[in-house]
Amino acid sequence: MAKATQWNTMGRKLLLEKAHVEGIRYFDVYRREGGYRSVEKALKTMTQDEIVEEVKKSGLRGRGGAGFPAGMKWSFIAKPEGVPRHLVCNADESEPGTFKDRYLMEFLPHLLIEGLIVASYALGSNTTYIYIRGEYAWIPDILEQAIAEAKANGFLGKNILGTGFDCEIYVQRGAGAYICGEETALIESLEGKRGNPRIKPPFPAIKGAWGRPTVVNNVETLASVVPIINEGGEEYAKIGVGKSTGTKLISACGNINKPGVYEIDMTISVEEFIYSDEYCGGIPNGKRLKACIPGGSSVPILPANLLLKTAKGETRYMNYESLSDGGFATGSMMGSGGFIVLDEDQCVVRNTYSLARFYRHESCGQCSPCREGTGWMEKLLLRLEKGEGKISDIDLLWDIQSKIEGNTICPLGDAAAWPVAAAIRHFRDEFEWHVTHAAEAQTRNYGLAHYADPIHVPV
Amino acid sequence: MSETPLFKVTIDNITIEVPAGTTILNAARKIGGDVAPPAMCYYSKLEGSGGKCRTCLVEVSKGSEKDPRPMPKLVASCRTTVMDGMEVKNITSPKVVDARASIVEFLLLNHPLDCPICDQAGECHLQDLSYEHGKDGTRYEFQRRTFKKHDLGKYIQLHMTRCILCYRCVFTADQISKKRSHGVLDRGDHSEIATFIEKNLDNDFIGNVIDVCPVGALTDKTFRFKNRVWFLKPMDAHRNCPTCSGKVTLWNRGDEVFRVTARKDEWGEVEEWICNDCRFEKKHTSDWLIEGPRLIDRHSVIAQGHYAGNVGQTIPNETINKVLHGRSPRLLMDIHSVSEVNQPDIDLSSIQGPAHSNNFNSNKD
Repeated sequence: MAKATQWNTMGRKLLLEKAHVEGIRYFDVYRREGGYRSVEKALKTMTQDEIVEEVKKSGLRGRGGAGFPAGMKWSFIAKPEGVPRHLVCNADESEPGTFKDRYLMEFLPHLLIEGLIVASYALGSNTTYIYIRGEYAWIPDILEQAIAEAKANGFLGKNILGTGFDCEIYVQRGAGAYICGEETALIESLEGKRGNPRIKPPFPAIKGAWGRPTVVNNVETLASVVPIINEGGEEYAKIGVGKSTGTKLISACGNINKPGVYEIDMTISVEEFIYSDEYCGGIPNGKRLKACIPGGSSVPILPANLLLKTAKGETRYMNYESLSDGGFATGSMMGSGGFIVLDEDQCVVRNTYSLARFYRHESCGQCSPCREGTGWMEKLLLRLEKGEGKISDIDLLWDIQSKIEGNTICPLGDAAAWPVAAAIRHFRDEFEWHVTHAAEAQTRNYGLAHYADPIHVPV
Repeated sequence: MSETPLFKVTIDNITIEVPAGTTILNAARKIGGDVAPPAMCYYSKLEGSGGKCRTCLVEVSKGSEKDPRPMPKLVASCRTTVMDGMEVKNITSPKVVDARASIVEFLLLNHPLDCPICDQAGECHLQDLSYEHGKDGTRYEFQRRTFKKHDLGKYIQLHMTRCILCYRCVFTADQISKKRSHGVLDRGDHSEIATFIEKNLDNDFIGNVIDVCPVGALTDKTFRFKNRVWFLKPMDAHRNCPTCSGKVTLWNRGDEVFRVTARKDEWGEVEEWICNDCRFEKKHTSDWLIEGPRLIDRHSVIAQGHYAGNVGQTIPNETINKVLHGRSPRLLMDIHSVSEVNQPDIDLSSIQGPAHSNNFNSNKD
């Protein structure tokens, strides 16, 4: 983690602004620093629809990976008479390379609770859940302490701030399954069942937890509701660019000098993010950049030349649109903001293998393409990595991933297929080198090769 | 009284009207034939089943009359309801045919293909599926997965290696029997059907898991290795059973009852659930009132050579005499002069019980 990071004045911070104020974890300090203003504003002066409208205006996009507009998601929730509704906070952050929610919950638990209260009010959820990843074993204590403090100060429980709104927040721990980050699997698990994703439709907004209308939002999304309410949706939308509004937390890791969680306003370029001292601080030991997975393990990996510049020769920026410029052929995705940097000493085949191993292990096993296909890909990649593969294995891998993608119940199949597809698409010669130079591949890495060469842009 | 509106849906260029709320699969089954997508996990009698095996994927080329946009991905026809004016492509879509072939490949990836010793052979949906929609050969060059053996008691034999994780048996135990003591443990490619800490499956209607299993993962222990299903004669029979309808299919050879199953419809689904007592304990012809031969699809291997006149077919008239104008055919070779298989003096159907090597050897003396 980035400890005692000096937050530069450049770039606006909305979430992590106060992250390093001494004692911000506790209610008194958080309140003194202006915390829970949004709850007072929302519950006392705004209607439910006004809050949803404000979030819509802000252009806030889901921060869990898919980037679906949060306000739109909220407006989909069914409101049948006499049926309780639920808000569930998805804190099952398990994507390799992503650790922003953990940072947020460890340092600023009250920010999440504050966002949860406002969102619960907007959605009419009197019982709200935080479903947290089982491996984050120490964080439920932090959250529960924050919940207890908020309750003791009248921000939770019965008749909050005398407005007549009741809300309880419960923390539910998962049992250590990546798949439970998928919203319907999360709901199944929350209900106490095996975490198998449900077949959609019906969507959770109609039939979610216990068959009731449910909204599932990521930790960062819910925390972002606080500045939106405090400053207004339009003000929030002014930050960032285009449809990438507000700020985004990026958890940077891999071969960089300063791994950690950074809040960016989505106007900086990828190159600046990697090399500026304010953020990642460049690559250690003077090594050169080879590749990067810009949004968590399931998004396509990009070679250095396509990462810093798009195929059109334009600078690539750290926002939803620019990162996905060029589609899957030459682009990637913002995803959940897990920024993994690979330097010239990293082996893409090995990296792809370890991702494939992860997805094989985390597949729920419910539908056949993912259950069988992920295991097959892992075995083929291991064979290639060990120098025992064949050239035809590369084509076979391509075929398998194309047969998994889009044919599964939930996006885990896609998430398992994309990294393999992108690695073969951009690094095919490295895969082939593992076959043609099998013995050599066991002793050294392929290196940078031409992956950083400027791409010819036809005029 | 409000009536369910009828929706017009076109599947493989055949239009049919079905009540709103019908799934694409059930609409296609109404048309029947090749238009009906195969289903390995969907079971119309089990609530919540389906959507998992992905063999029934179809392409929706037109969403509905109101919203004609095609659906971006192939959809599981068993869990997608029809919309008015929907157009669906099943076997007319190369995408579907291709995806289905790959699903078959995935399903067979870790399947042991031990059909020669599998009791399900001959009535196995995976066999049919592979035959109809698969490609020959496999591109898988690794060891197939194995599991630690679990004993499920004296009635039900579990072969986890054959399982395709359709979850049907889990739904059956939940919805049909009094108590479910088995389920899916673990996840991904190491998930398995098992009981948590060895338990016997023996409650009331649990035997039905054998009938719903599309493969040979759950088989009848009282019938294990006793006979091949295509050597048996299926007959509808019933008895006065205090717990179930008592309507079953007996699988006989001569007078001996080899096994008892529920009656299955043309989609291989059980018509009425039967209790364990009927299935496992009533193995005498005298226990049953026989109604007559069971209608078996003529494409099934089980139907081969069995009383053709009784299963809805007519025995074709011998035409050779007519064609040859009374001359006798000239035989070029008597097969028995070169082969010792099926010796003419041994009439297989008159042998008591299953054929045994002794039947052949004793005749040689």
